[in-house]
Amino acid sequence: MSATAFRQVTQDRSLYVPAGLFLVLLCAVAFRGQGLFTNNGLAGAILVATPLILTALAITPIVMAGRGAVDLSVGPLMGFVNVTLITWLVGNGITHPVAIIAWAVGLGAAFQLVQALVIIYVRVAPIIVTLSGFLVLSGVNLMVMSRPGGVAPDWMLSWGAGTSVFSPVLLLLLGAFAIWGVLRGTMFYRNLRMTGADERMAYTSGVQVDVVRIIAHMVGGVFAGLAALSYTALISSGDPTQGSTYTLQAVTALVLGGASLSGGRGGALGSTLGAINMFLISYLLSTFNFGTVSGFVTQMAFGLILVGSLLVNVFVISRRTVA
Amino acid sequence: MISTVLNTEIGAAGGSSALRKHKSISIGFCLLAGLLILGALLVPGFVSPQNARSILLLAAFLGLASVGQTLCALVGALDLSIPYIIGGANILLPSLMVAGLPAPVAMIVVLVLGTLVGACNGALSFRLQGQALIMSLGLGFAAVGAVQIYTSLGSQFGGTVFAPVPGWLRNLSAFNGKFFGLPFPPVIVIWAVIAVALGWIMHNTWFGRSLYAVGGSRTAAARLGISEFKVWTVIHSVSGAMSALTGMLLLGFSGGGFVGVGDPYLFTTVAAVVIGGTSLLGGAGGYGATVLGVLVLTVLTSLLVGLGLSFPAQQAVVGLLIVPMVAIYARSPHIRNQI
Repeated sequence: MSATAFRQVTQDRSLYVPAGLFLVLLCAVAFRGQGLFTNNGLAGAILVATPLILTALAITPIVMAGRGAVDLSVGPLMGFVNVTLITWLVGNGITHPVAIIAWAVGLGAAFQLVQALVIIYVRVAPIIVTLSGFLVLSGVNLMVMSRPGGVAPDWMLSWGAGTSVFSPVLLLLLGAFAIWGVLRGTMFYRNLRMTGADERMAYTSGVQVDVVRIIAHMVGGVFAGLAALSYTALISSGDPTQGSTYTLQAVTALVLGGASLSGGRGGALGSTLGAINMFLISYLLSTFNFGTVSGFVTQMAFGLILVGSLLVNVFVISRRTVA
Repeated sequence: MISTVLNTEIGAAGGSSALRKHKSISIGFCLLAGLLILGALLVPGFVSPQNARSILLLAAFLGLASVGQTLCALVGALDLSIPYIIGGANILLPSLMVAGLPAPVAMIVVLVLGTLVGACNGALSFRLQGQALIMSLGLGFAAVGAVQIYTSLGSQFGGTVFAPVPGWLRNLSAFNGKFFGLPFPPVIVIWAVIAVALGWIMHNTWFGRSLYAVGGSRTAAARLGISEFKVWTVIHSVSGAMSALTGMLLLGFSGGGFVGVGDPYLFTTVAAVVIGGTSLLGGAGGYGATVLGVLVLTVLTSLLVGLGLSFPAQQAVVGLLIVPMVAIYARSPHIRNQI
């Protein structure tokens, strides 16, 4: 698997920047603090980074489908699955793992199916539909659960302990990669890239662009459901307030990973690298002691790294188009 | 020769967009009237000077914050730095005044800094186009982080700044402010003046028309000798300046600096632009439409508050209404008709 990943990085120029940044950050982290490379450190890192990686993966197929379809609703959708899981299912005594996982994945996919159908049949710009989804779900989340609280099912409490690298959270992540890996080999994936790059051309070539869009959204919804599961494991409770934070972080991770918000370019590897880079940045900054202003320094540094990496990305990609 | 082509071009563009804008504006007026009638019937005291004053006051803040978003939407960009610049200005102004700067000087400094952040945003994000909104987000983070570091050095209250707000600034935007003895806060007048001026600029100046030209077709605009880069940078600078102004006026409204004051404006500005009928893809719409969108959004919120809905429920209802509102006048043609 790492061999294919390596080949992909050397072939795809849009992955140069995220991969380079990843290596630099890894060296810096190794230099600053060894805490990350212990069993506990790595387990904790996987636990914290997985919800972000999965939300970034969740918007990847939707963005790749083009038309500027940035899914703003992904953060609140994850929150919606999280709070309904805690309030409606666990609150009513339903704690069987199969029921919980089916609920999370099914709800994510169902919501995205609705969004896709609205985009296709009402024919309003996707970003407006997802903005609407963002507002509705942010409100509904707070109506379902007015403040953070509740408890995750018993069997999930051990997931959030962060003592072992090979935890169920890692399985969620690997499961998502496996789904993506299977999709990459299918006709759907090619059609998705074609639709994103030029929808009209794809349509005239006989691609069923509507079907492609529906599948892209539903795959994104499944990933959002998995993200909600890992998020529930991370906080062991419900939290209706983190939606907009996760939306902004996921979109940022996507762009840091070299995807184009106008569609056609992007992939799971880039989004994953972008999300891991964001985690590493905040981890690295937390090893410095800035006293009371540390939160602000993190925010500023984060913003500047985002700006820098976007500029480098432009440089690399524009050279490709010239060549 | 070139000017003849230019004139016919602008004339044609003006004609078609005026027609489309006409439709969206009349629908907007109907919506607004419907909401007002509904409010008068359902909520006792909805039609009263107090309520009108509070609606207009809240609409003025949203309207000022939406100026930049409208201009950006007209060329197909989104500015996500608006809430961060508002928050930054809201805490930077009091801390500059605590540091001993006279209030007017401090306000000019904040305004200039806001404009500079906007200009950087425009200049850096020009090459990115589709990704420009992430650049604005990044710069917003950087700016607000820097301001917070500055304000919290030597103070133990991160994110909140306490300073005496001058009486005239308080009067400018407080609920019980007076405009030359008339019983409404002057910020409403400021908003009205800016809206009229902007409307005039958009329709009667070279710059205003080139904004629509760039939004309509980049290639055509470039052939006409319009500098896309200049347009792009100027509108982002205006957006930064207007956000800084909103942040400072909000200080007079709340009485204390708080960095999170801008957060609600992240997506409400986009919603106001969209409800007004300005296409997020660029080229069609204008600030007049956004004013209508702002009023519809504020009256709707006020109506929902009057009906006893909590903040989350209001947000959900507004979200549900966006798609049908936009669908009335901004449906895109089927893909088979786009070829």
